[in-house]
Amino acid sequence: MRCERRMTSVSAELCLLACLILTVDLTLGLGLNKDMEFTFLLSAGSKECFYQTTAKNDSIDVGYQVIAGSGLDVGFAIISPSGHRLVSDFRSSDGIHTVDPTEDGDYGLCFDNSFSKLSEKMVFFEVTINSQSGVGGGQDVWGEEAATESMVEYKLEDIRESMDSMYQHLKRSRQILAVLRVLEARDRYLLEDNLWRVSFWSCLNLLVMLTVAVTQIYTLRRLFVDTKRVCT
Amino acid sequence: MMLATPAARFVLILAWICPSYALYFHIGETEKKCFIEEIPDETMVIGKYRTQLWDKLTNSFLAATPGLGMHVEIKDPDTKIILSRQYGSDGRFTFTSHTPGEHQICLHSNSTKLALFAGGKLRVHLDIQVGEHTNNYPEIAAKDKLTELQLRARQLLDQVEQIQKEQNYQRYREERFRMTSESTNQRVLWWSIAQTLILIVTGIWQMKHLKSFFEAKKLV
Repeated sequence: MRCERRMTSVSAELCLLACLILTVDLTLGLGLNKDMEFTFLLSAGSKECFYQTTAKNDSIDVGYQVIAGSGLDVGFAIISPSGHRLVSDFRSSDGIHTVDPTEDGDYGLCFDNSFSKLSEKMVFFEVTINSQSGVGGGQDVWGEEAATESMVEYKLEDIRESMDSMYQHLKRSRQILAVLRVLEARDRYLLEDNLWRVSFWSCLNLLVMLTVAVTQIYTLRRLFVDTKRVCT
Repeated sequence: MMLATPAARFVLILAWICPSYALYFHIGETEKKCFIEEIPDETMVIGKYRTQLWDKLTNSFLAATPGLGMHVEIKDPDTKIILSRQYGSDGRFTFTSHTPGEHQICLHSNSTKLALFAGGKLRVHLDIQVGEHTNNYPEIAAKDKLTELQLRARQLLDQVEQIQKEQNYQRYREERFRMTSESTNQRVLWWSIAQTLILIVTGIWQMKHLKSFFEAKKLV
């Protein structure tokens, strides 16, 4: 009898743990507003496509920025699951696009560097998916767990709301910080390029000047030596 | 005990449930795809990938066979290799940065059976998490026995700490940027002065040389 009761209590505990894991997973980690950012190298004369699976009636925000590579431009296109080209940027250095509402399927984000034969580009892009279904659900799930706490429910609701809003604000500041970081990286590459170019061309300039000076003197001397020979 | 095992298995399965929100891309046989992560120091990065192979019979992508693997190579900002390992068709790699800067994560497939690839491409689902996104909150909640509000507060603390780290790193980079900018300015200034001086000196030398040359030739 005691053994049976212990086993049922253990399995009940495990079920509760499973529920906790699932809810915490869905709200904190994986569901609602997922955003991904990648920085990758796009080699010269090639195209790269990244695909994102969305459900119906979600919204997808895509932002991209070219960080390095001569010209600092890349072609960009968003292709819907049915094959339509929704967005088409030709040789732009940055852009932000939103697709709302989305179809069910895989959206393709394609970067095109085929117009550049020599330089490879470094491109940063971020994808944010705002899932309509998830937002409402999350709040309710937290509400169920709170019933076990022995606090005044109204105050708890207040605290939870402000914590949620703080979380969203911090997430937004992280995204903005990421964009600023990317802009700084782009400027830094440009500046380092400039430094190298200044050094290189200055040295070349110096060599050319000295060569020209010596050649001028040498040519003049040769002119006079030749006439002397002709005279005799 | 007998009752506990299916429940435990259920728990384990739940812990692995992952709605596929990750981005995917196609990779050829010998192609190498590189991603760059610019991160401050002492930051943990976890990368997860899942591969699928195109099946001509069913005209769709199926889960890749165990023979197919991906080679993961991670370089730190000084281009020193900090991780170079072969993983299976589904893998998870993790590293912690010791120097701030740009880390490069490169993936290429190392297929043992080339026939599998014939005419097809490999689809790779990739997800890279940086900093406090790597924290496994359910695990932390279970270990420290936190209530949901405490867990949320812990999450907010982690987020703010990560923002602080990135701001510090931003300051270090801005300093480097300023140094490079000042170095460029200095170089431009000194090279201009040097070139002007060299031009003047060369001009004077040319005139003197020609004068002595013409005097020697008794033309002046």
